[in-house]
Amino acid sequence: MVLAVLIALIAIALVLPFFVGTYGIKFTTRVMVIAILVVSLDFLIGVTGLVSFGHAMFLGLGAYTLYFISPKSEAVSALIAIPATIVAAAICAAAIGAIAVLARGFYFIMVTLAFGQMLFSLFHDTDVAGGSDGAYINVVPQFHIGDWLALDFGNRLNLYYFCLAALIASYLFLLWLTRSPVGRVLQGICHNEARVSALGFNTYNYKLLSFVVAGALGGLAGGLFASIDGYVTPDLFGWRESGLAIMMVVLGGTGTLYGPILGAVLFAILEELLRSPAMVGATIADHWLMALGFVLIGLVLVAPRGIAGLLERDRGGKPAAEPVEAKAPPARQPQPGKELATEELSRRFGGLVAVNGVTVGFQRNRVHGIIGPNGAGKTTLINLLSGVLPPTAGSIRLDGEEIAGQRDFLIARRGLGRSYQRTNILLPFTVGENCRLAAQARHPHPWRVSDAAYRQNEEAAVVNALQAAGLTARRHVRAAHLSHGEQRQLEIAMLIASGARLLILDEPLAGMGPEETARVVALLRDLAVDHTVILIEHDMDAIFAAADTLSVLVEGKLIAHGTPDEIRRDLAVRAAYLGQYGDSEKVPG
Amino acid sequence: MELVLIQILNGLQYGLLIFLAASGLTLVFGILGIINLSHGSFYMLGAYLSLTLTSWFGDIFLALAAGIPIAFAFGAAIEWLFIRHLYNRDHLQQVLLTFGLILVFNELQRILWGTQPHSVPIPAYLSASIQLSDTLSYPVYRLAVGAICILLALAMMLVIQKTRIGQMIRAGESNREMVEALGIDTRILFRFVFAAGVALAAAAGIVAAPIESVYPGIGERVLIISFVVVVIGGIGSIKGALVGALLIGLADAFGKVFLPQLASVVVYALMAAVLVTRPAGLFGRA
Repeated sequence: MVLAVLIALIAIALVLPFFVGTYGIKFTTRVMVIAILVVSLDFLIGVTGLVSFGHAMFLGLGAYTLYFISPKSEAVSALIAIPATIVAAAICAAAIGAIAVLARGFYFIMVTLAFGQMLFSLFHDTDVAGGSDGAYINVVPQFHIGDWLALDFGNRLNLYYFCLAALIASYLFLLWLTRSPVGRVLQGICHNEARVSALGFNTYNYKLLSFVVAGALGGLAGGLFASIDGYVTPDLFGWRESGLAIMMVVLGGTGTLYGPILGAVLFAILEELLRSPAMVGATIADHWLMALGFVLIGLVLVAPRGIAGLLERDRGGKPAAEPVEAKAPPARQPQPGKELATEELSRRFGGLVAVNGVTVGFQRNRVHGIIGPNGAGKTTLINLLSGVLPPTAGSIRLDGEEIAGQRDFLIARRGLGRSYQRTNILLPFTVGENCRLAAQARHPHPWRVSDAAYRQNEEAAVVNALQAAGLTARRHVRAAHLSHGEQRQLEIAMLIASGARLLILDEPLAGMGPEETARVVALLRDLAVDHTVILIEHDMDAIFAAADTLSVLVEGKLIAHGTPDEIRRDLAVRAAYLGQYGDSEKVPG
Repeated sequence: MELVLIQILNGLQYGLLIFLAASGLTLVFGILGIINLSHGSFYMLGAYLSLTLTSWFGDIFLALAAGIPIAFAFGAAIEWLFIRHLYNRDHLQQVLLTFGLILVFNELQRILWGTQPHSVPIPAYLSASIQLSDTLSYPVYRLAVGAICILLALAMMLVIQKTRIGQMIRAGESNREMVEALGIDTRILFRFVFAAGVALAAAAGIVAAPIESVYPGIGERVLIISFVVVVIGGIGSIKGALVGALLIGLADAFGKVFLPQLASVVVYALMAAVLVTRPAGLFGRA
């Protein structure tokens, strides 16, 4: 359906110049150029989840780049002009993005808006390039092969077909990138940045990459846009343009890439319609912007998923393509896990000492339980171990190397994976895609997308993880459709697939029924074959059965550490902790 | 030296005006969780109310007294018609709907008041200038604007500190989910906060109208500057909005003198610097 619509659109675009006059050709050229801007914005908004309200700044940057490199009275070669607009916009995007990407959510929206306005004022208030009046590019780019004028942007048809080709190329490039391993990480960031970071991805770099790619294509659009009329104006940077571009993205359907192209076309038609007195009457045509405003408001209230939402169901803008050659994995060989030791580890929150001088060692290939009453500092402790929080004092050694105070994604790369108290997976991804993203985290070169050996390893890691976690049969099910217990298993599967050798699990049994509990306890025992496992758990029966050692935390202090038998016998523990249950039957014995 | 004094006064006065606009924006962010692009339109509403009401009543202060309740009612109506559908929707849809509102408001303005710039008279009893030194004088009306802004800001603080609804606002400022969990009727709270934000922005527009002329795009500059203030101060923080607005006011005033063409760039550079050092703003929660 989608493919059919796109092929039909391309076919129409190919023959259109033969049926419409010069105005129609120019109009359609402009729509195609805006579509390049909009599809690149969708890559930012829909794929990466960065809502930029300043994307038109790249339209302006590309346009002014062309102005600056064009000599007064002769044409600049298109072979130089087009790459120049792309590179200049990419450089600016890198500089602006380096700051803007620090911001999240609301802040990102406002910061991109502010940067767009900053560039607008820069070109509007100063005398550069004619200031607020704008400036003319006297001769637009041409391309000569020998004496033959192969391409002339001043020729309406030349420019038309060049823009069509540029639009198709931009779309295919972004589609390819979205479906590549890099794109998988970007989509992961869009849905759950914390999880992706905890798997060991430096999300800042990925978001910046996305910003630069989108900016570069925006620059391309700007260069072409300036070629249509041979004119640049500061208004190109303006936030109205940015707002309209967002509108086209949403009108078409965010995250689909093709949807926003349809959105740009539809918007252009809508605009022509609303501005034409013959169609809607003079009153509306005079105030067409108000009509547009109401269309926008109606769109948000009635059809927030855009046109693409009508063309497809439950795809959520996610490519489903995934290789399906699942071969039987070899039996898992015992492998050494990582060992972890802390010394005098402390964390204060103002006056509260949540973790107080904890010195404990977790041997490799064992299951270690951490127990304690609510508020004992258990979750704070594992937040320190996994780098979510920096410790106030003390050291943490992973296989003898100091990791205290390092960022979470750096610790994750050293082979430490963690799960969260609340299930933390990528709900719109399938089970297999979740694991594939995790498997990718262990690979240092996400760019090498066509590396067959790498793909095979990745596939093996996914198959192995699914098998270990007992989810092989559920591979193609969307994570959102799993039961609660299965989602917790999936989170563990992701950690296995990521290649972590030390797993830290925060209440993996919470909310599970007896059958699921038994299954996960067996899984934990099995995991110790090639991992070290540390878990927090409130289900006493289960943890006494599953763990090789137990550490008891009370008010931030480690009051006991030993085998389950030793802990059971430890009277201090009974008094301080197990005693609180009052009912002796609940003490595992 | 005298130039510096003048610019400090100008900067503080401009900063206080922006604070009125930005405080509404930051409260609406912090408590309703709404990113409201149409906030600048309410400043524009104030400026045009100032134009019309001053010509009816003949005095800017009567216009202010009448304009604030009108703007408050207008804000409540907008919340009821549009904004309440946006709670718990994602940022993108909030951006889009409020962008649509801007287009609608701009055209409404064109229909009602036309595209010509207008000026609003300064009341005769405030049209003098104060002699600050032998060679230096400063318009009384500008000082009066600063005083009005301070009074309105104090009134806002009083409402927030002393009333029941203010208590809810403070609770919402520190933890929005908690307020909902406490069973407070958030519909009333949200409508009040939104309407109050509109009234504050409009008040700023009303008193500023005699200083700058009244023209169609007047709200948009204020919107962008208010965003910058909120980014600097930290979302949801009134104190941050005050500090941010004064910083921006001073940066703008001195920028205009020392880097005339780059004054607006100075303001954005300030924002970038804050963002790099404190990504959640000066007083924001990380």
